[in-house]
Amino acid sequence: MSESVFTDATKMSGDRKAEDAIVVMRGVVKKFKDFVALKQIDFAVGRQEVVVVIGPSGSGKSTLIRCINRLEEHDQGEIIVDGTELTMDVKNIQEIRKETGMVFQSFNLFPHLTVLDNISLAPRQVRGMPKAEAEELSRELLERVKIPEQADKFPAQLSGGQQQRVAIARSLAMKPKVMLFDEPTSALDPEMINEVLDSIKQLASEGMTMVVVTHEMGFAREVADRVVFMADGEIVEVGTPTELFDSPKEPRTQKFLAQIL
Amino acid sequence: MILWLRRNLFRSIWDSITTIVFGGIALWFIWISIEFVFITGRWEIVEVNLKLFLVGRFPEELMWLIGASMVAIAFWVAAVAGGSPLGTEPRLRLAERIVDYVRRFGLIFALAILLVVLSNSLDSLLWVGLLGIGVFAGRVVGRMRRDNKIIQKLPGIIWQPMIATPAIALVIFTLLESTLELWGGFLINFYMALISIILCFPLGLLLALGRRSSFPVIRFICTAYIELIRGAPLFVLLLLAGVALEFFIPPTISPDAVFRGITVFTLFTAAYLAEIVRGGLQGIPSGQIEAGKALGLSTVKINSLITLPQALRSVIPAQIGQFISLFKDTTLAGVALNLFDVMTVGKVITKQDDFLGQGLIYESLIFVGLLFWVVSYVMSKESQRLEKRLGVGIR
Repeated sequence: MSESVFTDATKMSGDRKAEDAIVVMRGVVKKFKDFVALKQIDFAVGRQEVVVVIGPSGSGKSTLIRCINRLEEHDQGEIIVDGTELTMDVKNIQEIRKETGMVFQSFNLFPHLTVLDNISLAPRQVRGMPKAEAEELSRELLERVKIPEQADKFPAQLSGGQQQRVAIARSLAMKPKVMLFDEPTSALDPEMINEVLDSIKQLASEGMTMVVVTHEMGFAREVADRVVFMADGEIVEVGTPTELFDSPKEPRTQKFLAQIL
Repeated sequence: MILWLRRNLFRSIWDSITTIVFGGIALWFIWISIEFVFITGRWEIVEVNLKLFLVGRFPEELMWLIGASMVAIAFWVAAVAGGSPLGTEPRLRLAERIVDYVRRFGLIFALAILLVVLSNSLDSLLWVGLLGIGVFAGRVVGRMRRDNKIIQKLPGIIWQPMIATPAIALVIFTLLESTLELWGGFLINFYMALISIILCFPLGLLLALGRRSSFPVIRFICTAYIELIRGAPLFVLLLLAGVALEFFIPPTISPDAVFRGITVFTLFTAAYLAEIVRGGLQGIPSGQIEAGKALGLSTVKINSLITLPQALRSVIPAQIGQFISLFKDTTLAGVALNLFDVMTVGKVITKQDDFLGQGLIYESLIFVGLLFWVVSYVMSKESQRLEKRLGVGIR
């Protein structure tokens, strides 16, 4: 039935077993009107696993991770995040969004709030954290992404790289179990890409579970436990960075890698 | 100077001709106006009827209530404005600040002096003084709210009613002490506009959000309401309110014309406000809503904390414009609902025995126009300042 399983994307890296999965997708289909963006996706992410998703534009990689926190509603199949299934139930959706952080290509900071307020907003409003505690947490997170001095500025006063690091801190403030990165460096000037990648790498080394959609192959090779290659709404090939980059099996993977490397 | 004249007004023969022709026309109009205001105009009609213009047939012995209400309203407005966050503009020296204040409120001040002179009474001077004190006290309280750490801790939901209470209490007390039929003149226009503005604001917001709702039923109801109201002339709605409210409420509690007016103005302006706010909401990038969702914020919180604060800021000029037009439209209520508002006063006094048949409608209408113009102009100027201060387009 499933035409997409060239390689099994539900098999996690290392010695993780099925019950170690934190994100599970089974037979997920997503359509935009007549266009099928995801065709029968089976996919799993294990705890503390770093999965990098690559592929040509329009291949459905952004749609894939946007389905995980219900920014897109899937049409068929099931998605289970940390034991909770995504259904129409608003409570479930809220529950899952609390546990998943997302970083966007275009940062999407709130321009009318200071950096500190951007970060402390969700812990206060969603988790009911007292103001002082939330601000202390925010300052710690700014320390972690190495821009503690920017706390009282407004987003428009920061460089793109700084804004994206604030966006990372903002997601982390909810203490998520999974972080989703949707092309986090694609809107950045080249000289700022590394400062953002460094923050993400540091997060990976601290054991955060992450799904990263990116075009940064060097980064993928360095931090990924598993690399997923998508094309035309399907998962075409999955492997460790070495397997996938050095000896790709599928012709479509070979063609894509030949184009970008 | 000569150089400037040559460069801007007399650059070529054609320039010179147009300058002379239009300059002549302008001078002619200015001369006519000056002649009318200072020489031929017979302003005693305004002087004699000043009280009618301002408050209608309101009983003399209760006038202090109106004065007190005005002081309380001035206090409220000043407290809200004074508590606004510091702008980014540099702090002005005292002399510059006085110039700034004169530029901003000189017109209101001049109008106050004019009214005091026209009223020929010391009482009015006293009330102007009290108004000044009200504004000053409001500013002090507003500043305290901004700068004092302890008062800052009071949540807005307690603070806002606190500063509004004196004004609301006094207006209600005035209402209880005197019957509404006695109210009249500019007072009615002012109160109708003020109350409608306060009431239509939340309604407009809800309609704007409703029109963007993901529930089709809510969306349909809001859209239908907005389009229905916006498609009907205000004057027709006011006339309808004069007769048709009986359809909906029992005739025994038949509301006063002022309430009918307020109802119509509120419902009418809310529809326009909804479209203005919706425009502002559409200007917010969808990525921000997605970011809010991804953080686990509920729809209500996304609206109240992220989209609405930005949307409202960006549409301040249009909002104030709508409020100014509501304020001016209150004169329609006089005709449509037989209210004794300032416009009606302006017309009927020309039929008084002393002034009948002397063509004094000009003087009368110009005075009415002046009242509206000064208030509208200051509102509009202040909205521009507010817009700059909140940094629209900067952040």
